[in-house]
Amino acid sequence: MDLCLTVNGQPISLAEVPGEASLLEVLRGRLGLLGTKEGCGVGECGACTVLLDGRALNSCLTAAWQAAGRQVTTIEGLAQGGHLHPLQRAFVETGAVQCGFCTPGMILAAWDLLQRNDHPSDQEIKQALAGNLCRCTGYHDILRAVRRAARWLREGAP
Amino acid sequence: MSRFIHAASLAEALAALAPGQGRVLAGGTDLMVALRAARLSGGDLPAELVDVAAVPELQQLELEGPAPLVGAGLSFARLAADPGVRARYPLLAQAAASVGSQQVRHGATIGGNVANASPAADGVTALAALGAVAVIASAQGQRPCPLGELISAPYQTTLRPQEVILGFALDPLPARTGQVFAKVGRRQALSVARLNLAVCLDERLQDPRLALGSCFPTPRRLAQVEALLRAGRPGPGLWQAAGEQAAAHFTNVCGWRESAAYKVPAIRRVTARTLAQAWALLGGGS
Ligand code: FES
Ligand code: FES
Repeated sequence: MDLCLTVNGQPISLAEVPGEASLLEVLRGRLGLLGTKEGCGVGECGACTVLLDGRALNSCLTAAWQAAGRQVTTIEGLAQGGHLHPLQRAFVETGAVQCGFCTPGMILAAWDLLQRNDHPSDQEIKQALAGNLCRCTGYHDILRAVRRAARWLREGAP
Repeated sequence: MSRFIHAASLAEALAALAPGQGRVLAGGTDLMVALRAARLSGGDLPAELVDVAAVPELQQLELEGPAPLVGAGLSFARLAADPGVRARYPLLAQAAASVGSQQVRHGATIGGNVANASPAADGVTALAALGAVAVIASAQGQRPCPLGELISAPYQTTLRPQEVILGFALDPLPARTGQVFAKVGRRQALSVARLNLAVCLDERLQDPRLALGSCFPTPRRLAQVEALLRAGRPGPGLWQAAGEQAAAHFTNVCGWRESAAYKVPAIRRVTARTLAQAWALLGGGS
């Protein structure tokens, strides 16, 4: 049986996906979507965060078959019509990206938060990103980036 | 290689588990880690992974009435956000909110937390305080099993490979209770609790409940501490005494090992503080 799912709006069907394969392995290994990172592989770092039907999940802790018939969004699917998503722009403009390894996961975790809460407090942002480790930035600029993106999303980006 | 089975109904799930070679997959957050370790070490994989996320029986949530029930397939994100859970069983909602990270809570389920049987599981401590009895199903029928019998040792349960946990029957509670779930860990998210505690007090201290996790091999309420609370006069002195009693119980059961130097004073203080908080929620002074 083929595994059928939608990734970044594209219907995809894959043959011979083992039951134990993680969504992360399939995204990177079978679909070449390398924006999703593997940091720890066991749910500790958040680098592998993707959206499954709009909710942030660790793709290393999700079997690929759990995504059957559902919508997966990776960092590659966030920009629309050649324009970066406000979160992506805010991360670039505030210097919230250094080596960039944590960035896709951070942005998708923040996307999930802003979807539910368009005016989060700093505490709420920290809580939502608490499952994402960054070893470069010290988090300060990430917090600023999410705050800025939230404002742009509420008030329209300049 | 494991075959992946999407069970659309309980009957389908039980039929897939009947040969006894399968594993139940709920959220996958613990199981995927175990499968990864098995693959890396060349260990055996289960013949079938039986995904029960779509089984309606596991999604039940019945909080009012004489027989409250929480479905095993409910995610921690759902339990943390559900208005009914927050109103009737706030300690369960608080425990759910403290599990893992946002990403983990979206996948991880309360039933999976119990089946994984980590002594540090936040959901298990909360369920223990609420008197949870697991409802377990197999092709042969259903059986109730108290939490303390289901979890037999760290990471071990009496669940048979043909069985699946449907949900947890909880004790009905009086209309007004003060409930607090407290956790001591190292990192805000994802920390495996060093110590967790669930407390539920009623106004007359007739049925005080206190469960301590991460301290014992199996989940438990501390009956001696509860007896002390029932007999005492609410106030700082009683909370202190309860803290002493809880710490003493820990040393009796576990002996004095390395971690006790940290845990004993922590148990004493966290117990006293959490009882004071729960009592304050009922409008009592600390
Ligand atoms: S790679 Fe998934 S959480 Fe680290
Ligand atoms: S930018 Fe390097 S890990 Fe976050």
